[in-house]
Amino acid sequence: MQISPEILFSIAGFPVTNTVIATVITDIVIIVLVFMVSKTVALKPGGTQNAVEAVIDYFRETTEEIAGERASFIYPWVLSFFLFILISNLVAQFPGFESIRFQTAALEHHGVPFLRAATSDLNFTLALAVISVVVTHYFSIKHTGIKAYFRRFITFRMFPIFLFVGILEFVNEITKLISFSFRLFGNIFAGERVMSTMYGLFSFGLPLPFIVLEIMVALIQAIVFAMLTMAFMHIMTDKSH
Amino acid sequence: MEIIQKFGLEARLFLFQLVNFLIIVFVLKKFLFAPLKKMLDERKRKIEQSLQDAENAKIILGNATEEKKKIIAEAKSSVDMMMATTKVSIEETKEKAAIEAKSRSEHIVEEAKQRAATEFENMNKKIGKMSVDISGKVMSKVLSNLFTEDEKQKLISRALEKIDENITN
Repeated sequence: MQISPEILFSIAGFPVTNTVIATVITDIVIIVLVFMVSKTVALKPGGTQNAVEAVIDYFRETTEEIAGERASFIYPWVLSFFLFILISNLVAQFPGFESIRFQTAALEHHGVPFLRAATSDLNFTLALAVISVVVTHYFSIKHTGIKAYFRRFITFRMFPIFLFVGILEFVNEITKLISFSFRLFGNIFAGERVMSTMYGLFSFGLPLPFIVLEIMVALIQAIVFAMLTMAFMHIMTDKSH
Repeated sequence: MEIIQKFGLEARLFLFQLVNFLIIVFVLKKFLFAPLKKMLDERKRKIEQSLQDAENAKIILGNATEEKKKIIAEAKSSVDMMMATTKVSIEETKEKAAIEAKSRSEHIVEEAKQRAATEFENMNKKIGKMSVDISGKVMSKVLSNLFTEDEKQKLISRALEKIDENITN
């Protein structure tokens, strides 16, 4: 079983994998959605605008409840993570993912899947995790000050208790990266394997409950990633923490 | 290193995903969140304004109803006052007219009485004069045969004097 994404071809030395193609498809879906909504944005909302507004309003209100005034800079990031992960996961449920094969002379007999869920690529999930952590730290420095930021990790108050706490905080930041990236990657990758097995066993009817399950997983994972980012951003930008 | 290879971690792919997501964040922020936030704020402002307007309209309506009630009450009291004044005025006019009519009728009666008295006096005078003339004529007729002209004249004069005295008395 191959965990890494399959390289289909290269463009100027850049390896184009099946997850890269899925990422580009996700980008296109998001950009089309953005321009559809921004073109028809009106005081009296239509169908698409209503749905997008409901999602945005939900995240804005939730962030405001948790982070208060700091919600204005936290929620766009949280919402971006949610939309990008959700759309990536949902796009992967469409027919053609895993089933359309890509064949070249160098590849094995059945070829490799032409499309694979972007979130089943550790490069993708790790990139999101890094952005989440880096942006969180940037906001922390911006809103609590550089001194307070460093005191979080290195302090000689009540020596050596808080120094040890600081080291734990540092380790915590690294585990954040690992937990963020591997949780999302693991869930989606495992889902893909299950779906692949179900399609292999019996293609008609049997995968249906698993598709429903995967849609739920897609939504839950997007919410988990977004909510954790929101919580970490709130904690790191709060002076009392 | 082996585990990194197994999971397919690759610097160029990682950077691609990193930059790709940052571009998506930029697009979402610039073209979706910003206009939607602006529109949502505008809608919120309009709703708040409409609610405020409705509240103001309610207050204005309440005030107008109060004002209407006040005006009606004032008009009613004014009408009542006018009615009372008119009633009094009518009574006074009626009374005045009655008094005037009475005084005029009394005056007319008085005038008629005076006129009747004058007429009566004049008639009396006329009748007296006529009776004197008739008496004179009767006397001259009766006495023409009994007395001389001097005696007649003396008698007539004396009689006339007596009559005059009687009339004047």
